[in-house]
Amino acid sequence: MHGWIGKVLRIDLTTGKTSTQPLDAGLARDYIGARGLGTKFLFDEVDPKVDALSPANKLIFVAGPFTGTYAPSGGRYNVVTKAPLTGGIAAANSGGTWGPALKYAGYDAVIIEGKAPKPVYVWIRNQNVEIRDASHIWGKTVPDTSDAIRAETDQDAHVACIGPAGENQVLFACIMNDLHRAAGRSGVGAVMGSKNLKAFAVIGTGAVTCANKEGFERAVLKVREMIHKHPTGGTGLRLYGTDVLTNILNQIGGHPTKNFQDGQYANADKIGGESLSAKVLQRPKGCFACVISCGRVSKVTTPKYKGEGEGPEYESAWGFGSDSLIDDLDAVTKANFLCNEYGMDTITMGATIACAMELYDIGAITKADTGGIALEWGNAEAMVEMTRLTGVGEGFGKKLALGSYRLGELYGHPELSMSVKKQEIPAYDPRAIQGIGLNYATANCGAAHVRGYTIQPEVLGTPAKVDKDTIEGKPELVIEYQNMTAALDASGACLFTTFGVGAAELAELLSTLTGVGYSTDEFMKCGDRIWNLERLWNLRAGLSAKDDQLPERLLKLPIKTGPSKGSVSRLPEMLPVYYERRGWDASGVPTEARLRALGLA
Amino acid sequence: MRIAYFATLRDVAGKREEGWDRPAATVGDLLRDLVAKYGPEFARWVFEQGELRLAIVLVNGRDVRGLQRLDTPLAPADTVTIFPPVGGG
Repeated sequence: MHGWIGKVLRIDLTTGKTSTQPLDAGLARDYIGARGLGTKFLFDEVDPKVDALSPANKLIFVAGPFTGTYAPSGGRYNVVTKAPLTGGIAAANSGGTWGPALKYAGYDAVIIEGKAPKPVYVWIRNQNVEIRDASHIWGKTVPDTSDAIRAETDQDAHVACIGPAGENQVLFACIMNDLHRAAGRSGVGAVMGSKNLKAFAVIGTGAVTCANKEGFERAVLKVREMIHKHPTGGTGLRLYGTDVLTNILNQIGGHPTKNFQDGQYANADKIGGESLSAKVLQRPKGCFACVISCGRVSKVTTPKYKGEGEGPEYESAWGFGSDSLIDDLDAVTKANFLCNEYGMDTITMGATIACAMELYDIGAITKADTGGIALEWGNAEAMVEMTRLTGVGEGFGKKLALGSYRLGELYGHPELSMSVKKQEIPAYDPRAIQGIGLNYATANCGAAHVRGYTIQPEVLGTPAKVDKDTIEGKPELVIEYQNMTAALDASGACLFTTFGVGAAELAELLSTLTGVGYSTDEFMKCGDRIWNLERLWNLRAGLSAKDDQLPERLLKLPIKTGPSKGSVSRLPEMLPVYYERRGWDASGVPTEARLRALGLA
Repeated sequence: MRIAYFATLRDVAGKREEGWDRPAATVGDLLRDLVAKYGPEFARWVFEQGELRLAIVLVNGRDVRGLQRLDTPLAPADTVTIFPPVGGG
């Protein structure tokens, strides 16, 4: 095989046994890798009804064919498992250098099963796989864990680990790799914690082979050139990071504010990418083989929030900022650092604090609940402290650890959770941008912007501008973006390559690398297949059409201020069309004919 | 009229926003005046081969690509917001 290593490692933490198996060439062709192959493994091996935090769940780390090659910005991996936050499938995607290291060690995927009797970490050097005691590391933060493991394995080891949040099974705990990169959403870190697996360190000296070296080189140079020439992929993301979106979304009135009570925040510029670059940015940083460098190496010197690390992204700045009426960039950045150190998803953390502030505002929670902290809108110090308490598992942080839906439910107001399938909605208001709301409602992992990023055509105008307010054509647009993204995620590419190239170029890269001839249509069909398999697994887990829903606030409470004033999401009109265009029945179940066409029946 | 600049255009213009008294009937007229004032560094983020293909230009928060593009009419009370082509996710 080329592109793929051709080997899957299986580690049973209950027994301590490890084994390898060949990667089936047909599966590799049909599901590509990463998110796609991970979904297939989960579908075949894990009962969708299992408790996500029980030993019966599996934690699947999978790289894509691009991962470890010099395909531009193509070094990513996915963690696929049953999500404790949503009860559905999780496929959390991360960059950095960990995925390439796994390939160099000789594996496309590692399937972690069972539960270790005590805290352990996995150490892989090529074919040598060890399960080592981690009792002395349990409780440590992500940076301290990474340092400790490197010290006792290899200083060049690539470490993926959980922080205290994963150990405490915070329902939105991440798996962090390379210190600052996160397999971020849906609580994959809690699953790792439930298995007593503290970390996963790897180093490899092998290689990824290529079927058509000259063709691949040509395709790589072409893709690199197209990304370089694109003003966003080539310049904008490096200069300002993703947080440059704050002002754009705010100016069009699509920047959710005060737990989605409004769509515009008067002080948003203070936490936007321009302010970030001027105040806290040290340098841009890229992941493995990256030609974009959207990462932000940042530093806060204000004594109260002093720290160093990476971030914030747009969604994190929004979650810790506008969603809670906070305009203090130092506090926002500090909260991001804390999430990286304790291993938590910044979107859910920020949005859960915003929900808690609304609960406090209406009197559903009081200082008696919060440990004496005034959880008022705009209270930056309280926001940072709540983030810390969640990370260390103390005080009101234990309640915030449930995420906004369960928090709201606990205090009698689940309707104040701005979530889909119990996963928090990110920083694009579905009332102001119709397509993204349909994507949130239908994304198999719960609300997520990166499953079908229609913001590109609807707001940014890439590759062509589409009217954000219309619902005409949106079901088709959302399906196209969802399918393309599923295939892209499976390949190991970064979503930001789409600021420069599309499915045709990715299919060419994949074909020349693997020797399997993917036409653009076949590449897209792989994405469609992955999407439908995720859907099938979710249906078997007990999710249904009733879960393809936005919070009532977004359907009934119009935006109050700004250019999107008066708008609500028109999801109910779009959803039936979406099902029909997907080839699903009226209750959102894929038809036999559709499944047969995708090779799933 | 008020004009607000973002990202690289803030650096080019040397300001976040400014009042604009010179009459401009359309977005096209205004952008040409701004290019005359701020030069090619401004133009490179806005035009591609003479067409408005790069910048995101809003009039009172509405994207001109959904209005009449360069022919979108302007009134003295309008706020024009100009972003270079940037993005994220």
